[in-house]
Amino acid sequence: MSSTSQKHRNFVAEPMGEKPVTELAGVGEVLGKRLETAGFDKAYTVLGQFLVLKKDKELFQEWLKDTCNANSKQSADCYQCLKDWCDEFL
Amino acid sequence: MADQVDSMSDAELRTKLAEHGFPIMPITASTRKLLVKKLKLVLDNKSKPRASVDNKADTRRSLARYSSGEESDLDTTANAKEKRGRRATTGGAMLPPAANKARRPPPKKGSPAKRDSDKGSESDEEKPVRTHEEVETVTTRTIKRTYAANDADDYETGSDSDVDADKKTSSPFRSNSRSSDYISSTLPNVDVNISPPKTSVFSRASIIPTNYSSTYSSSMTSSDNLNSIRSRLGLTSSLADRPTSNYTSNYSTSTYQPSTSTIDEVESPYLSNFTRRLSALKSDPPKPASSFLDRDANNGSTVLPRRSYITGVNRSDIVDYKSATDKKFLKNNLVSLALVVLVALFFFCLFFMYIVKKNDITSVVDDQNSVIPICQLNIPGNRPGINCVPKEQVSYAKDLLKVIHPELTSRIASYKCGQVGTLPYLTEREIIDIASAKADTHDVSQCRTDLNNLQVLLINNPRWGLNVVQLKNLYTKDVEYSPIASTDLIVQQRTKGTVAITLSDPSTPLSCLFVNTLYSAGSSLIVVALLTLLGLGLQRAYKYYVMYQKRKSEEIYSMVEQIIDVISQETEDSGEPYISVDHVRDTLISPQNREKMASVWDAAVKFIQRNESRVRMEVQSVDGEDCRVWRWISAHSSPKRSASWQGQAFETQEGSVNNLVVSPTPCLKIRHMFDKNDDNPLLRVKIQDAILEKCDTHCNILHIDIDRTSCCVYVKCASPGDAGVVYRSLHGWWYEGRLITVKYLRLERYMQRFPTSPSTGPYLTLTRHSRRGLWPDE
Repeated sequence: MSSTSQKHRNFVAEPMGEKPVTELAGVGEVLGKRLETAGFDKAYTVLGQFLVLKKDKELFQEWLKDTCNANSKQSADCYQCLKDWCDEFL
Repeated sequence: MADQVDSMSDAELRTKLAEHGFPIMPITASTRKLLVKKLKLVLDNKSKPRASVDNKADTRRSLARYSSGEESDLDTTANAKEKRGRRATTGGAMLPPAANKARRPPPKKGSPAKRDSDKGSESDEEKPVRTHEEVETVTTRTIKRTYAANDADDYETGSDSDVDADKKTSSPFRSNSRSSDYISSTLPNVDVNISPPKTSVFSRASIIPTNYSSTYSSSMTSSDNLNSIRSRLGLTSSLADRPTSNYTSNYSTSTYQPSTSTIDEVESPYLSNFTRRLSALKSDPPKPASSFLDRDANNGSTVLPRRSYITGVNRSDIVDYKSATDKKFLKNNLVSLALVVLVALFFFCLFFMYIVKKNDITSVVDDQNSVIPICQLNIPGNRPGINCVPKEQVSYAKDLLKVIHPELTSRIASYKCGQVGTLPYLTEREIIDIASAKADTHDVSQCRTDLNNLQVLLINNPRWGLNVVQLKNLYTKDVEYSPIASTDLIVQQRTKGTVAITLSDPSTPLSCLFVNTLYSAGSSLIVVALLTLLGLGLQRAYKYYVMYQKRKSEEIYSMVEQIIDVISQETEDSGEPYISVDHVRDTLISPQNREKMASVWDAAVKFIQRNESRVRMEVQSVDGEDCRVWRWISAHSSPKRSASWQGQAFETQEGSVNNLVVSPTPCLKIRHMFDKNDDNPLLRVKIQDAILEKCDTHCNILHIDIDRTSCCVYVKCASPGDAGVVYRSLHGWWYEGRLITVKYLRLERYMQRFPTSPSTGPYLTLTRHSRRGLWPDE
């Protein structure tokens, strides 16, 4: 990954607080809606899942694929985003 | 397998995942699905290759059981244990047996066929059986089975065919997904049976008679078969000497259940085997071989310790697997390997033939197809040695050729190899020398004749591979020659002595070729290496140069910073507005470094001169000696451009609209030099200094005063001309953010306001503070 998106940088820049799930890099409106229907309405719920999966890239991407039908780029973005956030704030 | 995973409990799932090397992670509602999927994927991947092997191993075991009657006790006990171990893990997956029964209609014909493929087909080591043949070939197979029963060792040499047969059977028993159903369906029965350790054996043993008797009696009439079955029945029933009525009744109620138990063993899933092996290896690593032996030695004894037995079984699994894979590999790659070998052989033969053919001049010369012009006396044009050869001398000429050919070959070889002084041909003289030396005769004329004949022959037989050539220049070392194609030309050239013989298509010897190639490769390599080195050197030099430049400029910058620090520090400390350049240098650089740092110093000085606005270089006399100094021009210390006077708003020089040509009075009134609420007690002095500073020494001011109420400053000059100077200096200037306007004031009005103002000198001068440029911070 040569560079990160603006969204990624925005997300990683500060604590996530009550940000909605669509603030995550790689999660747009469509995926956000799907995640919300699956019960993941806030970014921190996704973070929780991320942590429950022990930050395992493969499993998290798989999960995201299963849950909201994300493609590999979206899931990789989301994973990277959460990972960077964790590196920063956890 | 897959169904099983779905219905596993969280704990089981976790264990399974751990077995497959997954990180242990919490299994929650949201992760469970994912992990189950993952596990399934892994199981699918692993079980495909393994399952077949396991099948084979297991079925082999079952064969062994059958062949050596008593041993089956052990094996099935182990299987029962396996089953038990498995049930522990699959407890949650149990399905109601009734449902399974309903799901699986028992095909009467199918079950014996199936049984054949399970147990029987393994005995057909030499005969790969396709499923569709099975029913028809039952007779032979049963016979074979009995044969195999006598020869217990056979199971080690199992071919792959049994696996194939297994896979190809269309019987529903084969499908993996079903097998788990069967397992669960049999489970209750086994539950009942396991309390004595051997019960499952009995169940197995007792099934076989029922099954076989029912199926075979219906499908077969061969008495042979029946006999063999009878013998088998006797065997097995002798094993099953302790079945209770309970078990038999169980099996009689459902005929296919027993067979499912065999399936269970046959298709005992990879996973449970794997885990068991894992645990067995872990807990009991040493002596697998011995336990294997044990198993062979104790064929039939029922009191083997469980663990060693299991290891033994597992060991056999591994052996089977290995040998099977080896064989499989060979079998699959046989054709391609053979092709490769064939091609290699072909090329080798080609090479060999080429080598042989090349060197065999004798065979070429003695070839019957050679054109040999024999001299015949009755043809007038024939001249021996020129266009024909006397018959009796043909063989001499050929001998001569055979003598000189190796010499010629070696000569050309050494020429090709680049040896100095060798020529790629033999001249007539040389040939005669060689010939006479070889033949030990000094009969040069005879040799000469032979040579002439040989030349005729060579011209007539270009396919001998030799050419008669005419040398261009005999006495130089150049190898230039042209082939001679007619005998007449030879006669001409012979007198000149420029006829030679050479090979028409000289071949370079292999070693020489190799050396030549090495040489050329080596030289090009050296060139490349040199170029690379050169390039690297240049790059290194450039890098070094850049580094050097960078270091130098860094040194200069640091020096400049130090200098500026020193200047600002010193000028502030000493009160002098400037400092000698040499002094700064001597402060910064220690004596031993001064010579060395001279260049840096000069560069820094130049840099400051060019690029430093706060420092100005000038020449001042310090202690009676002119030397270069740096003046520190800090913003507040500049006499001309103090902070107060901030620039001119409009032009007041001569010729401009705002300039009065003649100054009417010596008195001025200046507005807006200070604020109404400016309550600085020293305001008057400050204003006075500001005005005096601005006007410098060009004018003589007698009196300055301020009126705080109207915010005006009144100035009285010595003459109207002076007032004009002040006017031009101040009017239209920004002073501390305010625009100043100046007006002339009539003298009488001024005197009215300030009656005590002096009318003659002394003139006002700058106060001490402002001259030093050190105003108290206003």
